[in-house]
Amino acid sequence: MPILKNIAAIAKGMSITLKEMFAPTVVENYPDGPGPLKGAKFQERFRGVHVLQRDENGLEKCVACFLCAAACPSNCIYIEAAENTAENRISGAERYAKVYNIDYNRCIFCGYCVEACPTDAITHGHGFELATFNASNLVYRKEQLLAPMPAHLGANAVFNKAEIDKGMPALTS
Amino acid sequence: MADLVSHPAEVKVVSKRFGKGAANIDRYLELDGYKAVQKALGMDPDAIINEVKTSALRGRGGAGFATGMKWSFVPKQSAKPKYVLCNGDESEPGTCKDRLILEHDPHSVIEGVMIAGLAIGARIGYIYIRGEYRYLSVIMEKAIADAYARGFLGKNIFGSGRDFDVYWHGGAGAYEVGEESALMESLEGKRGIPRIKPPFPAVVGLFGGPTVINNVETLASVPPIILQGGEWFASLGTPKNGGTRLYCLNGHINNPGVYELPVGFNLLRMINEVGGGIWKGRKLKAVTPGGSSCPILKAEECDIAMDFDTLMKAGSMLGSGGVVILDDQTCMVKYALRTIKFYQHESCGWCIPCREGTDWLKKSLTRFHAGAGLKKDIDNIQYLAENMLGRTFCALGDAAAMPTISIVKKFRNEFEDHLEGRPCPYDPEAVTQQLPVLAGAH
Amino acid sequence: MADAPKLVNLTVDGKAITAPAGTLLIDACKNAGIEIPSFCYYPGLSVQGACRMCLVKIEKMPKLQTSCTTVVGEGMVVTTENDEIHQARKSMLELVLANHPLDCPVCDAGGQCELQDMTFTYGAAESKFVDIKNHRDEQQWSPVVYFDRPRCILCYRCVRVCGEGMDVWALGIQQRGVSSVIAPNMEDHLECEECGMCIDICPVGALTSGAYRYKTRPWEMNHVATVCTHCGDGCVTTLGVRRSDTGMEIMRGDNRDKSGINGDFLCIKGRYAFDFSKEPERITVPLIRRNSKLEPATWEAAFELIASKLKEVRDRDGGQAIGVIGSNRTTNEENYLLQKFARLVLATNNIDHHRTADYPGFVSALAGTQNMTASMRDVASAPAILLIGNDPTEQHPLLAWQIRNNVRLNKARLYTVNSNQIKLRRQSTVFHLISAGSEGAFAQFLVGNDSAASSVGDPQALNSLRDKLRGEQGLVIAFGSEIRGEHIKPLVQFAQSVGAKLICLGDYANSRGAADMGLYPDLLPGYYPVSQLTGSKDEDWMGKAPKQPGLTLQEMFSAAAGGRLRALYVVGSNPVARYNLDPFALKNTFTVVQDMFLTETATLADVVLPAANAYEKGGTFTNTCGDLQRLQKAGDVTTVKSDFEIIVRIANAMGYDVHGLVPFAPGLRADMGQTRGAESGEADRHKVWLTRQGIEPKLSPFDPLALLDEIQRLVPGYEVSRLNLMAGNDQHTQVPDIGSGELPSHPELIVPSEDTLFTSGTLGRYSKTLNSVMENDRAVPEDAGIPAD
Repeated sequence: MPILKNIAAIAKGMSITLKEMFAPTVVENYPDGPGPLKGAKFQERFRGVHVLQRDENGLEKCVACFLCAAACPSNCIYIEAAENTAENRISGAERYAKVYNIDYNRCIFCGYCVEACPTDAITHGHGFELATFNASNLVYRKEQLLAPMPAHLGANAVFNKAEIDKGMPALTS
Repeated sequence: MADLVSHPAEVKVVSKRFGKGAANIDRYLELDGYKAVQKALGMDPDAIINEVKTSALRGRGGAGFATGMKWSFVPKQSAKPKYVLCNGDESEPGTCKDRLILEHDPHSVIEGVMIAGLAIGARIGYIYIRGEYRYLSVIMEKAIADAYARGFLGKNIFGSGRDFDVYWHGGAGAYEVGEESALMESLEGKRGIPRIKPPFPAVVGLFGGPTVINNVETLASVPPIILQGGEWFASLGTPKNGGTRLYCLNGHINNPGVYELPVGFNLLRMINEVGGGIWKGRKLKAVTPGGSSCPILKAEECDIAMDFDTLMKAGSMLGSGGVVILDDQTCMVKYALRTIKFYQHESCGWCIPCREGTDWLKKSLTRFHAGAGLKKDIDNIQYLAENMLGRTFCALGDAAAMPTISIVKKFRNEFEDHLEGRPCPYDPEAVTQQLPVLAGAH
Repeated sequence: MADAPKLVNLTVDGKAITAPAGTLLIDACKNAGIEIPSFCYYPGLSVQGACRMCLVKIEKMPKLQTSCTTVVGEGMVVTTENDEIHQARKSMLELVLANHPLDCPVCDAGGQCELQDMTFTYGAAESKFVDIKNHRDEQQWSPVVYFDRPRCILCYRCVRVCGEGMDVWALGIQQRGVSSVIAPNMEDHLECEECGMCIDICPVGALTSGAYRYKTRPWEMNHVATVCTHCGDGCVTTLGVRRSDTGMEIMRGDNRDKSGINGDFLCIKGRYAFDFSKEPERITVPLIRRNSKLEPATWEAAFELIASKLKEVRDRDGGQAIGVIGSNRTTNEENYLLQKFARLVLATNNIDHHRTADYPGFVSALAGTQNMTASMRDVASAPAILLIGNDPTEQHPLLAWQIRNNVRLNKARLYTVNSNQIKLRRQSTVFHLISAGSEGAFAQFLVGNDSAASSVGDPQALNSLRDKLRGEQGLVIAFGSEIRGEHIKPLVQFAQSVGAKLICLGDYANSRGAADMGLYPDLLPGYYPVSQLTGSKDEDWMGKAPKQPGLTLQEMFSAAAGGRLRALYVVGSNPVARYNLDPFALKNTFTVVQDMFLTETATLADVVLPAANAYEKGGTFTNTCGDLQRLQKAGDVTTVKSDFEIIVRIANAMGYDVHGLVPFAPGLRADMGQTRGAESGEADRHKVWLTRQGIEPKLSPFDPLALLDEIQRLVPGYEVSRLNLMAGNDQHTQVPDIGSGELPSHPELIVPSEDTLFTSGTLGRYSKTLNSVMENDRAVPEDAGIPAD
């Protein structure tokens, strides 16, 4: 009887092995996969490099309220505010961020800044390949964090350049 | 010139000279004019005050404070001059009695001011006339000039050795100035904003001096009291509610007008007999018994005596005697909106609840009446009005809140009829286009 | 204060409290530790009753009552928190927020907003309001005042503080009801004193400061309370600082910390005129003249050059060939150090500063008296004030504020004697216009010299004024620089006869300190004549201070022109412009100037050293009344050095043992004696004093507090409570009693600054804000010349 029991146990174990042999593989083929993500897959909620969003008019959503900097537990956000003028309108409100730096040496990707943002200006993107040999490269400036202009405001102009050169009408806002 | 009306049920005391040309001083003298003040000149100040106390005369401006009592609060000795102030800033929607008195019998007001002055020991009286009553100031100016010319005013009045001056002063058009302390501010040349009380005007009033401030009708009631005695006057009304009142019947009735009736007259009788019933053969829906600031009475509540105490028990007020009668085709939401529009426009802006509350109510009711109301708005309107009540700087906030609360409570069904994007169901000419319900407001 | 007011007993929230009769309920509760919220109520301003936040339940009253308008009554039973009250306050907030924009993320007040705080407290977070809010566009009223109208909650604090507090009445209310709006006096802009009190007092972000708008947020800054560097009144200004590329940048000045001598007050200079510190024209590196051009150099090269030149002149021509000019804006410690440096290291008494008031004359006149000077706080509580000369509204804004408030709140009597129709005449019980220059004669008249009256004005009016003054108890007399020299004496005599206290008004932030610290050619710190330096006093100076009086400022320049002055060391002063001196006088004189800007004097110098200003260093200031206050370092520019450090480093470069200048201890060595040159057997007086005071010796030669120890030890009157001083409280110093004898006072050398509310010497010239307000043009008198110092 003990022998039978043992054989049954082995058979049960081997059946799992056999079943898994024919199941599709779940290993992500990063970094050798296809596409710009090189095979990496993300959950929607993944907290990657921040993106500073723009509104539908292409203006920055950030109004430099400093609440993200205040909420940040690792004190990695540095902002300098300035006032919008009629000639130089950057954000939708009275104030905009003249300087907006995030120090990724310090950032712990906790998402508190996103929680704190009253204008939904700062969000977590899915950027993740941050490694660098020079730590000073990890201080990201506003220009690096900003979302591109919406397409209808000419974000695709750069891709159209060849066509424009050929004499096609330029995309205008 | 307003058309005068009359009815056999009237008891004419204050209005006895209406339509008899008493604005002319000679005519006034023929009609027993300036006899009361001459009698008062021979009386002790305390005797005058007692006579008024006996008459159970209560202020006709709205609050219904006992006049004799008010006069007795003025200190006998005062370093600063004392003043008598006549509040002719009659702006309550639905009330139009002072206007008739000032037009038809200006001298009785001057006489009343003088008697009050004698009672409290003042030598200067002011008659403050509502800004919109510009034509009345012409009448009053002439009346005062005539009185001066006869020696009734100025130095040594009636040869008694005493001096008394009366001036009129025009407002600039603000309901708020009907509030006594705001009126004093206005008279002093400042913004018409109420003062902090205490101190009360009887102690620190106009220009810092002790001041008695009374309604036009109150002061016009004083000469008959002096002439014919306080007991006679008291006997005209009910206990603690002496005399007669000028009721301004208006709204949806057949014979609107100002009628002088004893205090305590039944409201239904007033509507059906004196006012000739509801117009166009319709039915009664609601009544505002004392000017627009009073809580509304439903039709079934209208079998009631019109005196201060009975109405108080019924949850309303006698107010300033402006009886607004509404027929059964009236939209109560529209009525509430019309009322609150007035108060929103007239709020002085001093304190938060009145300034912001009336504006909020107006916005909500406007939207509601146009058919973009939400179910929670009904509760919100009531919540807002209840939170304004009793918390404002002066009574204007209460005046806006009280009718609103009563309308929402008593006619909630009509509010519900406006819901779901329907414009006013009572008004065939109401906005026909459907307003969008505010996005995300639910 | 004849009889104490009656006390009233009442119960608040079950707690029995007492308050003087006549106290407002809200104040009585606050004093008992029960906070009642309010927007419109503000202590010291008239009662408003407009915001209805302070509603409380008082037993036997049917409705809730506003505690800001209710006076405490005997036996009153008050509830300040229950469901009904909570609901009332919550609904009041809902009503305010109905038309208040919710732009807190952009609003400057976000984080320090009373409306925000109360909304958090009462939880009016859910908005019932769904309709469109009333909107009005923002307005700019002046370069420094912006008004965002929708944010206004109409508490009328600004209107009252401007009218009642400042006596300017530039703000008012237009329209009524929900359209009510605060409006400036000139329709679309303000013409006023630009004090910015309206901004400070605004509970929300409706009034915002042009200098600070949208720059940063309150929690991003450090808030440092320090003493204003402009006039002589010594207001505490709270500077908000934030790290920047070059150190710490001052973002704003305000008065959130109301604990200072100035209470609620700050004028335009204290609030906005910190911007000279970030002016691009400021010198940030040392400049050395090479080929007749000033060129950037290193600090070491500058110190080396200065040390070698000064040493050369001292050793060749003696100390009398070197002159030193001190500043009215450097700290007491720096002034003390400078004169010590001049006397001990440079061996000269040629030290002077720009004199704006006759302090030596004042001290002379007060000889033999006790406690006869008034503090700035006394002005706010004295039953009567006599003001002779000066225009405090322009030159001593805090003094004017104290006077106005004392008159308004305490019914104090103000007697003003002036040769101009100054603005304080509006508060004066008696205003007497006298002919210009007869202030001295008025002082003579006060002590009974009736013949002096003829040159002053109407004798009858003067007599009645004098009779009134003679009847005043607790009078405070403030006099401007019009009274100097021989005229101070009679004033002091009169003050003695009526028991009055005196204030001698000087012009700059530390004019009084410069005088007290002995920036005089003939006086040591504490007004001790150099000629009398003997005995133990001489020991304090290690027997090394020269005993011959030196040259005054003007004499130094003529000596330089005559080739007798070979070196001149100017610290934070601009004598060339101030006295309109001949610039060529210095052509053969080695001149060192340390300043923030290339002033008329600095452009002539051989070496210019970039100095830190008073906002960038610690130390103490003595205001014009003699109130000692502590300065705290707020801003920082990394490439400049404080005057203190510069002086010590020059002395060090000259080979002088700096322990002899600054009594600092090298750490573990307990024996301070050797560090100060005391030989064996000789008691180290400073160490004895330090031990007795329980003070640890300082470890850094650049720590001004090390010198404060010495100042407290050696300068009579400065022995005030160290604890209070360090805690940031103002400490009144008494003038030293010099016994008999006269001090050399040179009244002819006094030149008032002629500054107005909108000018402030050199600092004012480089303050963009001060120059941007339109009143600036109007305010400067035509003959005032170049503002300097």
